[in-house]
Amino acid sequence: MRPYLTTAHRYRWLLGAVLAIIWGAGIVAAYTEYATTFESEATIWVLRASPELATTSPDDPNATVIQTAASQQADLLNQLLQTKEFLRDVVRQTSLRAALAAAPDETKFLAGVQKSFRVQTHGNNLLTVSFAAHDPPLGPEMVNAILAVRADRVAQASTTFTTITNTLYQKQLQVAQAQALDAQRALDEFDASHPGALSDIEQHLKDQLRLTLDYAQIRLGDLRGRINQAALAPAILSVSGMEFQVVDQPQVETSPRGGTRSAAMIGAVAIAAGCALAALLVVIGTLLPAHVSGPADVSRLAPARLFAAVPRVTRAGGGASPGDLRTSLAAIAFADGGARNGEVSG
Amino acid sequence: MSAPASLTATFDGLASRVDAMGFRTIGFTSALLGEGVSTLALGTALSLAAMRRGSVLLVDANWIHPSLTRDARLESSVGLAELLADRADAAACIRRYAPSRVAFLPLGDGMGARPTLRGLASFVAKEAVSFETVIVDLPPVLAGETFVLPWAALVDQLFVVLREGATPLPLIQQALGKLSLAAPPYIVLNRARGSSVDVPAALLAARA
Repeated sequence: MRPYLTTAHRYRWLLGAVLAIIWGAGIVAAYTEYATTFESEATIWVLRASPELATTSPDDPNATVIQTAASQQADLLNQLLQTKEFLRDVVRQTSLRAALAAAPDETKFLAGVQKSFRVQTHGNNLLTVSFAAHDPPLGPEMVNAILAVRADRVAQASTTFTTITNTLYQKQLQVAQAQALDAQRALDEFDASHPGALSDIEQHLKDQLRLTLDYAQIRLGDLRGRINQAALAPAILSVSGMEFQVVDQPQVETSPRGGTRSAAMIGAVAIAAGCALAALLVVIGTLLPAHVSGPADVSRLAPARLFAAVPRVTRAGGGASPGDLRTSLAAIAFADGGARNGEVSG
Repeated sequence: MSAPASLTATFDGLASRVDAMGFRTIGFTSALLGEGVSTLALGTALSLAAMRRGSVLLVDANWIHPSLTRDARLESSVGLAELLADRADAAACIRRYAPSRVAFLPLGDGMGARPTLRGLASFVAKEAVSFETVIVDLPPVLAGETFVLPWAALVDQLFVVLREGATPLPLIQQALGKLSLAAPPYIVLNRARGSSVDVPAALLAARA
């Protein structure tokens, strides 16, 4: 641990600069994200939590999870947001349709749109749908679009379901009508073949035939009622508007809103990236062969101490390269070929 | 400033510190080859000769890479090796260069004799006393420990030269560990980018 601390201390200015740059950039980016994000939100009141919506938890099949009306609708919207087709329909209803058409990667574009949507429940019957964008008018546009496309999808599904149900009931009605006619015919034939007083056995047979006819007619009435209900119920609910009622319409936000989470994420990523890079630099600086990078570094050679620093000789500064310097020094020092000790040099 | 003076000015800082500390015999060594030891020894000799107005003896004791001897074109001359082996006297070995006030003792035949503490002590006692300053160019500690240690015990101060931003720290520490002197050697930082150096407290005291 000590070598790493020593390295960190040695490169403290570099590490400080790296952290300042990365953290500074992260803070600026986070603030920009916060200041330029405008989230528009619609509050919706929903009804009709059906008992058959109870589902089982995958973790514990014995425990039932009661799904509220709000969570049911929130799940529905979140599931729809998973599909490209739904997102495409939503975007096509907004000013982003041109951007979608021009996008080189439609999947990436739609994924970005999906991430900007947020569906949250608030209690059993209240949910909010929000959209965060850098362009303030785009938020309400997108929220209105998702609600409109959802309504279209629900209406289409309801129409399809009603048609299928009607077809099924009509088939059942035809069968029931045939059964009722057969029962009526059988009773009429029995009455025609037994004009006089009836014995106990004959009376019992006639009662059975009448009972069969009554059941068939009841069945017919029931089916006619169901057919009427299937045709009218969705229309009644749709007209009443109680099933899915937008309480607060989305507004164009004038002040930044909804960017806190993404700004915090950017800031956290910047802080983590700065720490990771600093740690990496310390590890590399510790593992790589170290050099004495300046006079201050000589303290690492204690007890040896720095006596002097001889400056680097460069062509620009000193007019001679290190090789030239050596040659020149030798020429100066050994100028005249030298005289042996005691001789007189020229 | 004349051309020679401008060249030796690079070493004036080092020389003035040596002068202030009153060192008479100094040695330059390093951890590795190529640190600039011989150049520093040569430059300091010239600077000290000008500064002290006295004779300076420059000794090439680099048995591994006697570059100063080659610079002086004295490869075939007798020198330190012969002097230590008593095959020549000092008068025959030491060359004096009047213009620079530098006397030079080349290595001689390096294969002939190896430096011993006794031989070097005798040389320092008999011959070196006639010079005001003696500067010894030594081989790198890690490559020629046996050539460095006898000198390290005799000189007033040993300097370990290292190149800023180049010499690997572990090797310097290894070299300093091999020296293990009673008085730790001083470090001379060669090819330094900055010129500011914290002057050791001992130097400040000497100047005061």
